[in-house]
Amino acid sequence: MTTSADATALWHLAPGLQATVVGFEDDLSENYRIRLMEFGFHPGEVVTCLLSPGFGAPKVYRVSNTVFSLDSEIAEKVLMDTQSMMKSVAL
Amino acid sequence: MNRVLLIGSPNSGKSSLFNRLTGLHQKVANFPGITVDVSSGALAKMPDVELLDFPGTYSLQPISAEEEVAVEYFQRALADPEVRHVLCVVDATRLEKSLYFTLQVTRESQRHGKPITILANMHDVLSANGLSFDPEGLAREVGAPVILVSAREGSGLDQVIERLRSALISDDRAGGLWADTPDALLRGTAHQLAHKYGPSGDILVRQQTRLDRFFLGTATGGVAFFAIMLLLFQSIFTWSAPVMDAVEAGVVGLGEALVPLISNTVLADFTSDALFGGIGAFLVFVPQIFVLTFIIGLLEDSGYLARAALICHRPLKIFGLTGKSFVPMLSGVACAIPAVYAARAVDSPRQRLMTYLAIPLMPCSARLPVYALLIATFIPNDTVLFGLIGWQGVAMFSIYFFGMFCALLVTGLVSRMSTLAKTELPFVLELPPYRLPSFRPIARAAVNRCRHFVTKAGKVILGVTVAVWVLGYFPNYGTDLAGSWLGTLGRFIEPVFAPIGLDWRYGVAILSSFLAREVFVGTLGTIFGIEGAEDNMLPLVDQIQASALPLGSGLALLVFFAIALQCVSTVAILARESNSWRVALTMLVSYLVAAYLAALLTFNVTQGLVVFIG
Repeated sequence: MTTSADATALWHLAPGLQATVVGFEDDLSENYRIRLMEFGFHPGEVVTCLLSPGFGAPKVYRVSNTVFSLDSEIAEKVLMDTQSMMKSVAL
Repeated sequence: MNRVLLIGSPNSGKSSLFNRLTGLHQKVANFPGITVDVSSGALAKMPDVELLDFPGTYSLQPISAEEEVAVEYFQRALADPEVRHVLCVVDATRLEKSLYFTLQVTRESQRHGKPITILANMHDVLSANGLSFDPEGLAREVGAPVILVSAREGSGLDQVIERLRSALISDDRAGGLWADTPDALLRGTAHQLAHKYGPSGDILVRQQTRLDRFFLGTATGGVAFFAIMLLLFQSIFTWSAPVMDAVEAGVVGLGEALVPLISNTVLADFTSDALFGGIGAFLVFVPQIFVLTFIIGLLEDSGYLARAALICHRPLKIFGLTGKSFVPMLSGVACAIPAVYAARAVDSPRQRLMTYLAIPLMPCSARLPVYALLIATFIPNDTVLFGLIGWQGVAMFSIYFFGMFCALLVTGLVSRMSTLAKTELPFVLELPPYRLPSFRPIARAAVNRCRHFVTKAGKVILGVTVAVWVLGYFPNYGTDLAGSWLGTLGRFIEPVFAPIGLDWRYGVAILSSFLAREVFVGTLGTIFGIEGAEDNMLPLVDQIQASALPLGSGLALLVFFAIALQCVSTVAILARESNSWRVALTMLVSYLVAAYLAALLTFNVTQGLVVFIG
């Protein structure tokens, strides 16, 4: 079982690493939580950070076969399992 | 009439399919949210059936006002007895992304007893990359036919028509496999089905990532961005020039051939000055609008504009905007009207309002002839650095930059002072795959934009030019402009413009430009008695220089035109899109007052410096 101590925000996932979604911060509104899940950010799904463009620009993530760009405001709210964090095998 | 609904998630190729099925030329772009209205057209092979193209949306559970409107419209359409079938488009290369939405659409269609067919688009991409997809398996599980199609190549469309011919009846018995399934269960099922039946390889994502590393890299991304923007501006100002010259020459040549055939003096003057002068005033912009629309279309369709939005997000956010404001603002460089429409892609109402505020300050193409005239009049045509840099080019760049600077300044200030609730939606942008643009639909869209410009703006410009000519020609038949009706009107408003060193002639030209900015040049040409001033500015430049207009007034006019919202069409579209005449009129008045004050300041500072320098 993953505890909050084992979780880190998606925003902190370095480029080239992948990890499994474990949940969302409580203060993320229901609408956005559902929309993220519609995009594929389900608990249990593997997300890979593909790129971290410079100057604080939104980062680029792969979930399933789709690529999304998320800024820090939202990527900070997606919790990733640190124990599952590993170098992406897909890249 | 029988109707068929076409719905799908953004970037699924839905609009391309609509064009294929109807033979129409709706604008197609590879940028989320580009389909902003419900388009309709008869099916080319079933003319008695109307196809309705709905805006792309990720879910039937809306999170923004626009999505809510689109979803409500879709629900109402499903209840319409004339709606006989639903076509739901999915991107077969990325099934995971669109299958949940497809199941929601299937459920709603079943609840209303409407047959549904799933169109798995981009079959050509799957084949080209050796990816597999199991339409039969998916169809079995979903309980609806799945047809592999390629909007790009046109494959599979005959099967779609066959399906529609056989299933163009509503099932009165509402219900079905998914009719009572809650969203949460649909989400889980979609996830499983996508993994089971969708393409398993990730070759496409790998290709996309390689390109993203270049276009979004800290160094390479910045260089590519500036190179592409430079290319865009070069296309507007350099590549369009030969065609613009050809249009000019054509209009002038036609006028010179026809006018001598007219014996009546008044009619000949009218034809030469008002008709050909008026037509020339706006036709000359058509090549520029075509080139700009075409290049922006290529950038959208290639997938690059979504990357540009990402690159611009952080800097734009400082000014209360979002990366999604970039496309509307860039479009505003061509024309504010399509730019205002494009602002619908901005989810947050607050950031959308900021985008509206920025768009009229972007240096649109209608300002170009005014800038060109004033710069040619006041800035010497000298060059430095072995002829590489011309002062007039520097001046043009400066006034363009000034407009963009004003746009960011205004949004930055207003976003900090505004009491409007901070409802910014987080920035989540799907990055569509890179693809080779489809040239023909983009060229058609550019032609349509030009046609719209000629038929809508052209009427206004021609009307104003004719009105100004009549006012300036009568009652003394063009012999004494000062004694004409135009002269009388000009002197009445002269006190307003006198503080910035402008006499009645410029006042009249400014007044006429509120219908369309570029009318300023034509009106001034008419007032100075120069035929076809829009086509050949040099005689007008000479006249203005001879009239000893102060340098401060010239610069004040540049500043005034950079800020003022002189376009009734833009004001009307702003009112419609913001759903508020108050917003549009407030912008009109505020930008007018700001433009006047900035022009007053520019005039006084410049004249002070002129006196000081000596």
